[in-house]
Amino acid sequence: MTEEINKEELKQKILEHLAKKPWQVRDLAKVLRVKKKELDKIVQELIAEGKAAYWSSGSTTYVTTKEKLEEMEKKRSGT
Amino acid sequence: MPVVDGVELPETPLLDELEKGPWPSFVKEIKKTAIEQEKAMKAGKKIKLPGAAKGLLKVLELAYKDKRTHWKHGGIVSVIGYGGGVIGRYCDLEDQIPEVWHFHTIRINMPAGWFYTTKALRTICDVWEKWGSGLTNFHGSTGDIILLGTRTEYLQPCANALAYADQLYGGVPFDIGGSGSDLRTPSACMGPALCEFACYDTLKACYEFTMRYQNELHRPMWPYKFKIKCSGCPNDCVAAKARSDFAIIGTWKDEIQIDQEAVREYAKVIDIEEHVVKKCPTKAISWDGKELKINNRECIRCMHCINVLPKALKPGKERGATILIGGKAPFVDGAIIGWVAVPFIPENELIEKCCEMLEAIWEWWDEEGKFRERVGELIWRKGMDEFLKVINQKADVRMVYAPRNNPFIFWRELNE
Repeated sequence: MTEEINKEELKQKILEHLAKKPWQVRDLAKVLRVKKKELDKIVQELIAEGKAAYWSSGSTTYVTTKEKLEEMEKKRSGT
Repeated sequence: MPVVDGVELPETPLLDELEKGPWPSFVKEIKKTAIEQEKAMKAGKKIKLPGAAKGLLKVLELAYKDKRTHWKHGGIVSVIGYGGGVIGRYCDLEDQIPEVWHFHTIRINMPAGWFYTTKALRTICDVWEKWGSGLTNFHGSTGDIILLGTRTEYLQPCANALAYADQLYGGVPFDIGGSGSDLRTPSACMGPALCEFACYDTLKACYEFTMRYQNELHRPMWPYKFKIKCSGCPNDCVAAKARSDFAIIGTWKDEIQIDQEAVREYAKVIDIEEHVVKKCPTKAISWDGKELKINNRECIRCMHCINVLPKALKPGKERGATILIGGKAPFVDGAIIGWVAVPFIPENELIEKCCEMLEAIWEWWDEEGKFRERVGELIWRKGMDEFLKVINQKADVRMVYAPRNNPFIFWRELNE
């Protein structure tokens, strides 16, 4: 139960960071002081839940919130 | 405005220069697509991206005129469950050329060895004419089928149409390939399916890696890209040693197989001394007019003699592969050839040993690698000694650094 609460808290923290800018998971893991592998799994869950999404430059990939992504796409496409 | 087959094309004096000459021209192909698209529209066919090919001609012409690109690169990957395979691209001339305002690329996982039935090709073309520009690129440098140009809202329907092509159209289904910080679509030469030199089953290896590592292929989580290429013999037709982080190059351990009768047959039409003996880089071959001898201890597997006398010479019977690590082909620095990490793995152990190694390498690289650092660069930074511990190998004199580091340059002596 405690673990679940901690995970939910962590998810919330991750989303707060992702809402500010797109992140490379490894950088976010350092900031949050979480093992990268653990963060990989949580980020996958957030993506599956539709709360986070990928942004790709073609060669490298970032993760951000769905809202931030839409905002970025609007800017990028010039609308 | 030039009119071809009743279709008006934009004025493109600069692009027209690229149509001149007897060779194929991408400008010709784009113009043909523009004409076909317009004819199809006039015939009442519904086209999702009307005028895309015409728009592309206009953007290209302007790019040549302005001497700068009008593309903005990167964006959303809007296919559910996928983090790669779509490369966002927008045009900064949305007011002038709205037809190509969104022009995203989709990478499609090609079959191992690039074998297609006509039905499979028709499926891809039909889906792409429906959901995209109709322009393709066979193939990208990693080997994927590249579908050039669609809008964000058509990415998911296009991916669905390809994935369920068998159920929807009775076609051949295809999956999206890799892009971004993930495992790129593994590729292989045609191997034993069409080539007598193949020292292992490249197609099987490529298929196994693709199926086993679907998560790594579609969910980018690494510091940067990672490429696997399978070449069946040292001819290295997929340029694995120069274009992949993990190159699996077929080779043999024992002696080159010689059919002396076939050599004598060749001798009637080929000057063996001139074209085979003298061309051997290690002078390992001798020919007395009756018998060809090879000092196999000196052979460096350059494949020249086998290529010249394919009916008479064959790779040895004890076959397997050499693994090279850290190759890549960046634009600025030029090709960096992989480093021999494992000199020989027997064919029957190859796939499992490769998988063991790949998983250990990924774990280490994911932990230690910096942002946009390829595995080869991490080895330079940390040292081969540390890398060999990761893959559980002992240093060996055969672990040559960048073997054949100029394989693609053909030069003549200055005095020739």
